[in-house]
Amino acid sequence: MGYVAVKGGTNAIEASLKRLTYERLKDGEIIEVQTIMATMRSLVDQVMSESSLYSPYLAALSIKQANGSMEEAVFIMRAHRSTLPRLYYSETVESETMFVERRISASFKDIPGGQLLGATNDYTHRLLDFTLINESASTNESWLHDYEQALQHVGDGNEVIYFPKVVDHLRHEGLFETYDWDNSKPTDITKENLSFPATRSARLQTLTRGQTGAVTALGYASLRGYGQVHPTVGEVRVGTLPISVGHPNEADEDEADDYYIGNIKVSEVESFVPVSVKNKQNENELEFEIGYGICYGQNETKAIAMSILDQCLEHPEADFPTHDEEFVLLHIDSVESTGFISHLKLPHYVTFQSKLDSIREVKKEGKQQ
Amino acid sequence: MKRRRRTEILVQSNADLAEHLAETILQTYTCKEIVPPHHGLTMVKMRESAKQSLFYIGEVLVTEAKVEINQYIGIGIVQGMEEELAKHLAIIDAAYNATLPETREWQDLLLQAEADLKAKKAKEQAELFETKVHFETMDV
Repeated sequence: MGYVAVKGGTNAIEASLKRLTYERLKDGEIIEVQTIMATMRSLVDQVMSESSLYSPYLAALSIKQANGSMEEAVFIMRAHRSTLPRLYYSETVESETMFVERRISASFKDIPGGQLLGATNDYTHRLLDFTLINESASTNESWLHDYEQALQHVGDGNEVIYFPKVVDHLRHEGLFETYDWDNSKPTDITKENLSFPATRSARLQTLTRGQTGAVTALGYASLRGYGQVHPTVGEVRVGTLPISVGHPNEADEDEADDYYIGNIKVSEVESFVPVSVKNKQNENELEFEIGYGICYGQNETKAIAMSILDQCLEHPEADFPTHDEEFVLLHIDSVESTGFISHLKLPHYVTFQSKLDSIREVKKEGKQQ
Repeated sequence: MKRRRRTEILVQSNADLAEHLAETILQTYTCKEIVPPHHGLTMVKMRESAKQSLFYIGEVLVTEAKVEINQYIGIGIVQGMEEELAKHLAIIDAAYNATLPETREWQDLLLQAEADLKAKKAKEQAELFETKVHFETMDV
Protein backbone atom coordinates (compact mmCIF):
# COMPACT_ATOMS: atom_id res chain seq x y z
CA MET A 1 0.00 0.00 0.00
CA GLY A 2 1.49 3.34 -1.05
CA TYR A 3 1.24 6.69 0.72
CA VAL A 4 -1.99 8.59 0.21
CA ALA A 5 -2.10 12.33 0.56
CA VAL A 6 -5.53 13.41 1.77
CA LYS A 7 -7.41 16.61 2.38
CA GLY A 8 -10.93 17.41 3.43
CA GLY A 9 -12.94 17.26 6.60
CA THR A 10 -13.88 20.94 6.60
CA ASN A 11 -17.58 20.23 6.57
CA ALA A 12 -17.19 17.55 9.22
CA ILE A 13 -15.24 19.95 11.45
CA GLU A 14 -17.88 22.65 11.10
CA ALA A 15 -20.57 20.13 11.95
CA SER A 16 -18.51 18.94 14.93
CA LEU A 17 -18.18 22.49 16.27
CA LYS A 18 -21.96 22.91 16.01
CA ARG A 19 -22.37 19.60 17.81
CA LEU A 20 -20.11 20.87 20.61
CA THR A 21 -22.30 23.94 21.03
CA TYR A 22 -25.40 21.73 20.87
CA GLU A 23 -24.06 19.54 23.69
CA ARG A 24 -23.60 22.64 25.85
CA LEU A 25 -27.02 24.08 25.11
CA LYS A 26 -29.31 21.09 24.60
CA ASP A 27 -30.56 20.81 28.20
CA GLY A 28 -31.71 24.42 28.15
CA GLU A 29 -29.66 25.43 31.19
CA ILE A 30 -27.51 28.54 31.37
CA ILE A 31 -24.78 29.05 33.95
CA GLU A 32 -23.79 32.67 34.43
CA VAL A 33 -20.13 33.67 34.61
CA GLN A 34 -20.90 35.39 37.91
CA THR A 35 -22.38 32.14 39.24
CA ILE A 36 -19.17 30.26 38.41
CA MET A 37 -17.10 32.98 40.09
CA ALA A 38 -19.25 32.90 43.20
CA THR A 39 -19.77 29.18 43.65
CA MET A 40 -16.75 27.47 42.08
CA ARG A 41 -13.91 29.39 43.64
CA SER A 42 -11.51 26.43 43.75
CA LEU A 43 -12.02 25.67 40.07
CA VAL A 44 -11.52 29.34 39.16
CA ASP A 45 -8.39 29.46 41.33
CA GLN A 46 -6.91 26.38 39.66
CA VAL A 47 -7.53 27.73 36.18
CA MET A 48 -5.88 31.06 37.07
CA SER A 49 -2.93 29.29 38.65
CA GLU A 50 -2.31 26.85 35.82
CA SER A 51 -2.82 29.46 33.13
CA SER A 52 -0.61 31.90 35.05
CA LEU A 53 -3.13 34.66 34.47
CA TYR A 54 -4.93 36.23 37.42
CA SER A 55 -8.43 37.17 36.39
CA PRO A 56 -11.32 35.45 38.17
CA TYR A 57 -13.76 36.76 35.56
CA LEU A 58 -11.85 35.44 32.55
CA ALA A 59 -11.15 32.15 34.34
CA ALA A 60 -14.88 31.70 35.00
CA LEU A 61 -15.68 32.56 31.39
CA SER A 62 -13.13 30.03 30.15
CA ILE A 63 -14.65 27.34 32.40
CA LYS A 64 -18.06 28.08 30.90
CA GLN A 65 -16.73 28.01 27.35
CA ALA A 66 -14.78 24.80 28.02
CA ASN A 67 -17.81 22.96 29.43
CA GLY A 68 -15.91 22.62 32.70
CA SER A 69 -12.83 20.99 31.18
CA MET A 70 -9.81 22.16 33.20
CA GLU A 71 -7.26 21.55 30.45
CA GLU A 72 -9.38 23.33 27.86
CA ALA A 73 -10.07 26.29 30.17
CA VAL A 74 -6.36 26.69 30.90
CA PHE A 75 -5.55 26.43 27.18
CA ILE A 76 -8.11 29.16 26.37
CA MET A 77 -6.70 31.43 29.10
CA ARG A 78 -3.12 30.93 27.91
CA ALA A 79 -4.21 31.66 24.34
CA HIS A 80 -6.00 34.83 25.43
CA ARG A 81 -3.01 35.91 27.48
CA SER A 82 -0.84 35.69 24.38
CA THR A 83 -3.03 38.31 22.67
CA LEU A 84 -2.53 40.93 25.37
CA PRO A 85 0.36 43.37 25.69
CA ARG A 86 2.44 43.22 28.84
CA LEU A 87 2.18 46.78 30.10
CA TYR A 88 3.96 46.61 33.45
CA TYR A 89 6.12 44.61 35.82
CA SER A 90 5.01 44.92 39.42
CA GLU A 91 7.15 46.19 42.24
CA THR A 92 8.46 43.33 44.36
CA VAL A 93 5.68 41.77 46.40
CA GLU A 94 6.74 40.83 49.93
CA SER A 95 4.48 38.18 51.38
CA GLU A 96 4.60 39.76 54.86
CA THR A 97 2.13 42.30 53.43
CA MET A 98 -0.51 39.58 53.06
CA PHE A 99 -3.95 40.13 54.54
CA VAL A 100 -4.19 36.66 56.02
CA GLU A 101 -7.47 34.76 55.81
CA ARG A 102 -6.06 31.42 56.89
CA ARG A 103 -2.81 30.43 58.53
CA ILE A 104 -1.78 27.14 60.09
CA SER A 105 1.38 25.38 61.14
CA ALA A 106 2.00 21.66 61.44
CA SER A 107 5.31 22.30 63.21
CA PHE A 108 4.25 24.39 66.18
CA LYS A 109 1.10 24.56 68.22
CA ASP A 110 1.78 28.09 69.37
CA ILE A 111 2.88 30.39 66.58
CA PRO A 112 3.14 34.16 66.98
CA GLY A 113 -0.30 35.52 66.10
CA GLY A 114 -1.96 32.11 66.45
CA GLN A 115 -3.43 29.60 64.04
CA LEU A 116 -6.35 30.77 61.96
CA LEU A 117 -8.41 28.09 60.21
CA GLY A 118 -10.31 30.49 57.95
CA ALA A 119 -12.44 28.71 55.34
CA THR A 120 -11.27 25.16 54.68
CA ASN A 121 -12.54 21.75 53.56
CA ASP A 122 -10.12 20.09 55.98
CA TYR A 123 -12.69 19.39 58.66
CA THR A 124 -15.72 18.56 56.52
CA HIS A 125 -17.13 15.01 56.64
CA ARG A 126 -16.93 14.47 52.89
CA LEU A 127 -20.46 13.10 52.90
CA LEU A 128 -22.68 14.16 50.01
CA ASP A 129 -24.97 16.94 51.17
CA PHE A 130 -28.33 16.12 49.64
CA THR A 131 -29.89 19.26 51.10
CA LEU A 132 -28.04 21.21 48.40
CA ILE A 133 -30.40 19.70 45.81
CA ASN A 134 -33.21 21.87 47.16
CA GLU A 135 -31.09 24.92 47.96
CA SER A 136 -32.93 28.17 47.34
CA ALA A 137 -32.04 31.85 47.39
CA SER A 138 -34.32 32.42 50.38
CA THR A 139 -32.77 29.63 52.48
CA ASN A 140 -29.32 30.96 51.62
CA GLU A 141 -30.28 34.49 52.59
CA SER A 142 -31.66 33.18 55.83
CA TRP A 143 -28.41 31.30 56.56
CA LEU A 144 -26.36 34.40 55.80
CA HIS A 145 -28.57 36.52 58.04
CA ASP A 146 -28.17 34.07 60.93
CA TYR A 147 -24.40 33.91 60.37
CA GLU A 148 -24.06 37.69 60.39
CA GLN A 149 -26.22 37.91 63.49
CA ALA A 150 -24.00 35.36 65.22
CA LEU A 151 -20.98 37.52 64.41
CA GLN A 152 -22.50 40.62 66.00
CA HIS A 153 -20.67 39.94 69.25
CA VAL A 154 -17.32 40.08 67.45
CA GLY A 155 -17.17 43.86 67.44
CA ASP A 156 -15.45 46.10 64.96
CA GLY A 157 -11.83 45.10 65.57
CA ASN A 158 -9.03 47.56 66.02
CA GLU A 159 -5.96 47.72 63.82
CA VAL A 160 -5.44 45.22 61.00
CA ILE A 161 -2.78 42.72 62.02
CA TYR A 162 -0.12 41.55 59.56
CA PHE A 163 1.27 38.25 60.79
CA PRO A 164 4.98 37.57 61.14
CA LYS A 165 6.33 34.48 59.41
CA VAL A 166 6.91 31.40 61.57
CA VAL A 167 10.29 30.98 59.92
CA ASP A 168 11.37 34.51 60.91
CA HIS A 169 10.94 33.54 64.55
CA LEU A 170 13.17 30.49 64.03
CA ARG A 171 15.73 32.52 62.11
CA HIS A 172 15.98 34.94 65.01
CA GLU A 173 16.70 31.95 67.23
CA GLY A 174 19.52 30.95 64.88
CA LEU A 175 17.86 27.64 63.98
CA PHE A 176 17.58 28.42 60.28
CA GLU A 177 20.12 30.01 57.99
CA THR A 178 19.48 33.65 57.18
CA TYR A 179 19.85 35.08 53.68
CA ASP A 180 20.36 38.64 52.52
CA TRP A 181 17.85 39.93 50.01
CA ASP A 182 18.84 38.73 46.57
CA ASN A 183 17.53 41.29 44.09
CA SER A 184 18.93 39.61 40.99
CA LYS A 185 16.63 40.00 38.00
CA PRO A 186 14.49 36.86 37.75
CA THR A 187 14.35 34.69 34.66
CA ASP A 188 11.02 34.90 32.84
CA ILE A 189 10.12 31.58 31.24
CA THR A 190 7.44 33.28 29.15
CA LYS A 191 10.16 35.31 27.43
CA GLU A 192 12.98 32.78 27.16
CA ASN A 193 13.01 29.03 26.78
CA LEU A 194 13.67 26.98 29.86
CA SER A 195 17.31 25.89 29.79
CA PHE A 196 19.20 23.60 32.15
CA PRO A 197 20.52 23.95 34.74
CA ALA A 198 17.56 26.22 35.42
CA THR A 199 17.81 29.28 37.64
CA ARG A 200 15.91 29.22 40.92
CA SER A 201 13.51 31.86 39.59
CA ALA A 202 12.79 29.77 36.46
CA ARG A 203 12.14 26.71 38.62
CA LEU A 204 9.72 28.57 40.89
CA GLN A 205 7.87 30.16 37.97
CA THR A 206 7.49 26.78 36.26
CA LEU A 207 6.34 25.06 39.44
CA THR A 208 3.79 27.71 40.40
CA ARG A 209 2.06 27.49 36.98
CA GLY A 210 2.28 23.71 36.89
CA GLN A 211 -0.79 21.52 36.58
CA THR A 212 -2.18 20.88 40.06
CA GLY A 213 -2.43 17.11 39.53
CA ALA A 214 1.06 16.82 38.08
CA VAL A 215 2.73 18.92 40.80
CA THR A 216 0.82 17.01 43.49
CA ALA A 217 1.68 13.60 41.97
CA LEU A 218 5.40 14.34 41.79
CA GLY A 219 5.45 15.82 45.31
CA TYR A 220 3.67 12.69 46.52
CA ALA A 221 6.15 10.47 44.65
CA SER A 222 8.98 12.17 46.51
CA LEU A 223 7.31 11.46 49.85
CA ARG A 224 6.77 7.81 48.93
CA GLY A 225 10.43 7.14 48.28
CA TYR A 226 11.02 8.36 44.72
CA GLY A 227 12.76 11.32 46.28
CA GLN A 228 14.47 12.26 49.49
CA VAL A 229 12.31 15.04 50.87
CA HIS A 230 9.76 14.51 53.63
CA PRO A 231 9.02 17.88 55.16
CA THR A 232 7.04 19.21 58.08
CA VAL A 233 4.84 22.08 57.05
CA GLY A 234 6.13 25.14 58.87
CA GLU A 235 3.38 27.46 57.72
CA VAL A 236 0.52 27.48 55.24
CA ARG A 237 -1.07 30.84 54.67
CA VAL A 238 -3.88 31.93 52.40
CA GLY A 239 -4.69 35.57 51.87
CA THR A 240 -4.47 38.57 49.61
CA LEU A 241 -1.35 40.44 48.53
CA PRO A 242 -1.36 44.07 47.36
CA ILE A 243 0.14 44.72 43.91
CA SER A 244 1.64 48.00 42.81
CA VAL A 245 3.56 49.22 39.77
CA GLY A 246 5.99 52.08 39.31
CA HIS A 247 5.43 55.01 36.96
CA PRO A 248 6.50 53.96 33.44
CA ASN A 249 8.51 57.14 32.78
CA GLU A 250 9.45 58.74 36.07
CA ALA A 251 12.92 57.85 37.28
CA ASP A 252 11.86 58.46 40.88
CA GLU A 253 11.95 55.16 42.76
CA ASP A 254 9.98 56.35 45.75
CA GLU A 255 7.48 53.58 46.60
CA ALA A 256 5.02 56.24 47.70
CA ASP A 257 4.73 57.31 44.06
CA ASP A 258 3.75 53.85 42.80
CA TYR A 259 0.30 52.94 41.52
CA TYR A 260 -1.68 50.45 43.61
CA ILE A 261 -3.57 48.29 41.11
CA GLY A 262 -5.39 45.72 43.26
CA ASN A 263 -4.70 42.53 45.13
CA ILE A 264 -4.33 38.84 44.38
CA LYS A 265 -5.27 35.83 46.48
CA VAL A 266 -2.53 33.25 46.96
CA SER A 267 -1.64 30.16 48.98
CA GLU A 268 1.89 30.19 50.34
CA VAL A 269 3.82 27.40 52.07
CA GLU A 270 7.12 27.09 53.86
CA SER A 271 8.10 23.49 54.50
CA PHE A 272 10.85 22.60 56.93
CA VAL A 273 13.13 19.88 55.66
CA PRO A 274 15.83 18.25 57.81
CA VAL A 275 19.15 17.92 55.98
CA SER A 276 22.50 16.54 57.09
CA VAL A 277 25.43 18.95 56.71
CA LYS A 278 29.09 18.85 57.68
CA ASN A 279 30.10 21.26 60.42
CA LYS A 280 33.53 22.90 60.83
CA GLN A 281 34.82 19.77 62.53
CA ASN A 282 33.69 17.76 59.48
CA GLU A 283 31.03 16.03 61.56
CA ASN A 284 27.52 15.38 60.34
CA GLU A 285 25.04 17.82 61.80
CA LEU A 286 21.29 18.14 61.37
CA GLU A 287 20.01 21.40 59.94
CA PHE A 288 16.74 22.61 58.52
CA GLU A 289 16.18 24.02 55.07
CA ILE A 290 13.04 25.57 53.64
CA GLY A 291 11.05 24.34 50.67
CA TYR A 292 8.95 27.16 49.20
CA GLY A 293 5.58 26.83 47.51
CA ILE A 294 3.07 29.40 46.32
CA CYS A 295 0.25 29.59 43.79
CA TYR A 296 -2.65 31.77 42.75
CA GLY A 297 -5.85 31.26 44.71
CA GLN A 298 -6.57 28.82 47.51
CA ASN A 299 -4.88 25.60 46.49
CA GLU A 300 -2.93 24.40 49.48
CA THR A 301 -2.22 20.90 48.18
CA LYS A 302 -0.45 22.32 45.14
CA ALA A 303 1.50 24.85 47.22
CA ILE A 304 2.67 22.14 49.65
CA ALA A 305 3.63 19.81 46.78
CA MET A 306 5.51 22.70 45.16
CA SER A 307 7.45 23.27 48.38
CA ILE A 308 8.52 19.60 48.33
CA LEU A 309 9.61 19.81 44.70
CA ASP A 310 11.41 23.11 45.30
CA GLN A 311 13.50 21.42 47.98
CA CYS A 312 14.02 18.31 45.78
CA LEU A 313 15.34 20.44 42.91
CA GLU A 314 17.66 22.38 45.23
CA HIS A 315 19.42 19.05 45.81
CA PRO A 316 19.86 17.22 42.50
CA GLU A 317 20.11 13.44 42.90
CA ALA A 318 20.64 11.23 39.88
CA ASP A 319 18.87 8.30 41.56
CA PHE A 320 15.55 10.08 42.03
CA PRO A 321 13.37 11.46 39.21
CA THR A 322 11.78 14.04 41.50
CA HIS A 323 15.24 15.55 42.07
CA ASP A 324 15.84 15.82 38.30
CA GLU A 325 14.82 19.29 37.15
CA GLU A 326 14.46 18.30 33.50
CA PHE A 327 12.11 15.49 34.48
CA VAL A 328 10.02 17.64 36.81
CA LEU A 329 9.94 20.99 35.02
CA LEU A 330 9.37 19.65 31.52
CA HIS A 331 6.38 17.49 32.47
CA ILE A 332 4.17 19.55 34.78
CA ASP A 333 2.83 22.21 32.43
CA SER A 334 -0.86 21.69 31.64
CA VAL A 335 -0.85 23.06 28.10
CA GLU A 336 2.34 21.24 27.14
CA SER A 337 1.41 17.84 28.58
CA THR A 338 -2.26 17.79 27.56
CA GLY A 339 -1.35 19.28 24.19
CA PHE A 340 1.24 16.64 23.43
CA ILE A 341 -0.96 13.78 24.58
CA SER A 342 -3.89 15.20 22.60
CA HIS A 343 -1.88 15.53 19.43
CA LEU A 344 -1.85 11.73 19.28
CA LYS A 345 -5.50 11.99 18.17
CA LEU A 346 -4.51 13.93 15.08
CA PRO A 347 -3.88 12.16 11.74
CA HIS A 348 -0.65 10.17 11.75
CA TYR A 349 -1.57 8.33 8.54
CA VAL A 350 1.80 8.72 6.86
CA THR A 351 3.97 7.82 9.85
CA PHE A 352 1.77 4.87 10.74
CA GLN A 353 1.69 3.61 7.14
CA SER A 354 5.46 3.81 7.14
CA LYS A 355 5.62 1.61 10.24
CA LEU A 356 3.14 -0.83 8.71
CA ASP A 357 5.21 -1.04 5.53
CA SER A 358 8.32 -1.81 7.56
CA ILE A 359 6.58 -4.62 9.47
CA ARG A 360 5.13 -6.06 6.26
CA GLU A 361 8.58 -6.03 4.70
CA VAL A 362 10.11 -7.81 7.71
CA LYS A 363 7.36 -10.44 7.76
CA LYS A 364 7.67 -11.00 3.97
CA GLU A 365 11.41 -11.54 4.32
CA GLY A 366 10.78 -13.98 7.17
CA LYS A 367 8.43 -16.08 5.01
CA GLN A 368 10.87 -16.15 2.09
CA GLN A 369 13.60 -17.49 4.38
CA MET B 1 -1.43 62.70 49.42
CA LYS B 2 1.08 60.52 47.61
CA ARG B 3 0.00 58.38 44.68
CA ARG B 4 0.43 54.90 46.24
CA ARG B 5 -1.80 55.79 49.15
CA ARG B 6 -4.51 57.57 47.16
CA THR B 7 -4.71 54.90 44.43
CA GLU B 8 -5.14 52.22 47.08
CA ILE B 9 -8.02 54.17 48.60
CA LEU B 10 -9.61 54.81 45.20
CA VAL B 11 -9.24 51.24 43.90
CA GLN B 12 -10.49 49.62 47.10
CA SER B 13 -13.38 52.02 47.68
CA ASN B 14 -16.65 51.93 45.81
CA ALA B 15 -16.08 53.02 42.19
CA ASP B 16 -18.50 55.92 42.80
CA LEU B 17 -15.77 57.78 44.69
CA ALA B 18 -13.35 57.87 41.72
CA GLU B 19 -16.24 58.74 39.41
CA HIS B 20 -17.28 61.64 41.66
CA LEU B 21 -13.75 63.08 41.82
CA ALA B 22 -13.19 62.69 38.07
CA GLU B 23 -16.54 64.38 37.34
CA THR B 24 -15.54 67.48 39.33
CA ILE B 25 -12.45 67.83 37.11
CA LEU B 26 -14.33 67.23 33.86
CA GLN B 27 -16.79 70.03 34.73
CA THR B 28 -13.99 72.62 34.71
CA TYR B 29 -11.10 71.36 32.58
CA THR B 30 -10.62 69.93 29.12
CA CYS B 31 -9.52 66.33 29.28
CA LYS B 32 -7.82 64.80 26.26
CA GLU B 33 -7.87 61.04 25.95
CA ILE B 34 -4.33 59.90 25.13
CA VAL B 35 -4.86 56.15 25.43
CA PRO B 36 -8.43 54.90 25.79
CA PRO B 37 -9.02 52.22 28.43
CA HIS B 38 -7.57 48.95 27.19
CA HIS B 39 -6.68 45.57 28.64
CA GLY B 40 -3.14 44.37 29.22
CA LEU B 41 -0.99 42.41 31.61
CA THR B 42 1.18 43.11 34.60
CA MET B 43 3.82 40.53 35.49
CA VAL B 44 3.97 40.08 39.26
CA LYS B 45 7.42 39.88 40.81
CA MET B 46 7.65 38.23 44.21
CA ARG B 47 10.24 37.53 46.84
CA GLU B 48 10.29 33.94 48.09
CA SER B 49 11.04 33.43 51.75
CA ALA B 50 13.38 30.41 51.56
CA LYS B 51 16.38 32.09 49.93
CA GLN B 52 14.99 35.66 49.70
CA SER B 53 15.35 35.68 45.90
CA LEU B 54 12.97 37.09 43.30
CA PHE B 55 10.76 35.22 40.82
CA TYR B 56 7.67 35.82 38.71
CA ILE B 57 4.49 34.25 40.09
CA GLY B 58 2.43 35.07 37.00
CA GLU B 59 0.52 37.80 35.23
CA VAL B 60 -2.50 39.85 36.30
CA LEU B 61 -5.09 41.21 33.89
CA VAL B 62 -5.23 45.01 34.12
CA THR B 63 -7.03 47.90 32.46
CA GLU B 64 -4.99 50.98 31.67
CA ALA B 65 -5.98 54.46 30.45
CA LYS B 66 -4.05 57.70 29.87
CA VAL B 67 -5.41 61.24 29.70
CA GLU B 68 -3.98 64.74 29.46
CA ILE B 69 -5.17 67.78 31.42
CA ASN B 70 -3.36 71.16 31.23
CA GLN B 71 -0.49 69.37 29.48
CA TYR B 72 -0.07 66.92 32.32
CA ILE B 73 -0.45 63.22 31.66
CA GLY B 74 -2.41 61.05 34.06
CA ILE B 75 -2.37 57.26 34.14
CA GLY B 76 -5.07 54.98 35.47
CA ILE B 77 -4.23 51.31 36.06
CA VAL B 78 -6.44 48.83 37.81
CA GLN B 79 -6.68 45.07 38.05
CA GLY B 80 -9.41 43.37 36.02
CA MET B 81 -11.68 44.69 33.28
CA GLU B 82 -12.54 48.12 34.67
CA GLU B 83 -12.69 50.58 31.77
CA GLU B 84 -14.63 53.31 33.58
CA LEU B 85 -12.59 53.12 36.76
CA ALA B 86 -9.29 53.16 34.81
CA LYS B 87 -10.35 56.33 33.03
CA HIS B 88 -11.47 58.01 36.24
CA LEU B 89 -8.19 57.07 37.93
CA ALA B 90 -6.27 58.56 34.99
CA ILE B 91 -8.19 61.83 35.29
CA ILE B 92 -7.53 62.00 39.03
CA ASP B 93 -3.84 61.22 38.46
CA ALA B 94 -3.59 64.00 35.87
CA ALA B 95 -5.32 66.39 38.28
CA TYR B 96 -2.72 65.66 40.95
CA ASN B 97 0.16 65.88 38.47
CA ALA B 98 -1.13 69.28 37.32
CA THR B 99 -1.58 70.33 40.98
CA LEU B 100 -5.14 71.44 40.29
CA PRO B 101 -6.71 73.27 43.25
CA GLU B 102 -9.56 70.73 43.43
CA THR B 103 -7.12 68.07 44.62
CA ARG B 104 -6.57 69.95 47.87
CA GLU B 105 -10.27 69.71 48.61
CA TRP B 106 -10.19 65.93 48.11
CA GLN B 107 -7.88 65.33 51.05
CA ASP B 108 -10.60 64.97 53.70
CA LEU B 109 -12.76 62.84 51.42
CA LEU B 110 -9.89 60.45 50.77
CA LEU B 111 -8.91 60.29 54.44
CA GLN B 112 -12.48 59.44 55.38
CA ALA B 113 -12.62 56.74 52.70
CA GLU B 114 -9.32 55.36 54.00
CA ALA B 115 -10.66 55.23 57.55
CA ASP B 116 -13.78 53.42 56.31
CA LEU B 117 -11.67 50.87 54.45
CA LYS B 118 -9.49 50.25 57.51
CA ALA B 119 -12.53 49.77 59.69
CA LYS B 120 -14.05 47.34 57.19
CA LYS B 121 -10.83 45.35 57.02
CA ALA B 122 -10.43 45.29 60.79
CA LYS B 123 -14.02 44.07 61.13
CA GLU B 124 -13.36 41.34 58.54
CA GLN B 125 -10.23 40.27 60.37
CA ALA B 126 -12.05 40.23 63.71
CA GLU B 127 -14.61 37.90 62.14
CA LEU B 128 -11.84 35.67 60.78
CA PHE B 129 -10.43 35.48 64.30
CA GLU B 130 -13.50 33.46 65.23
CA THR B 131 -11.69 30.60 63.48
CA LYS B 132 -8.58 31.00 65.63
CA VAL B 133 -7.57 27.76 67.35
CA HIS B 134 -7.32 27.71 71.12
CA PHE B 135 -5.37 24.58 71.95
CA GLU B 136 -5.89 22.71 75.17
CA THR B 137 -3.07 20.54 76.40
CA MET B 138 -4.33 17.10 77.35
CA ASP B 139 -3.19 15.13 80.38
CA VAL B 140 -1.81 11.81 79.23
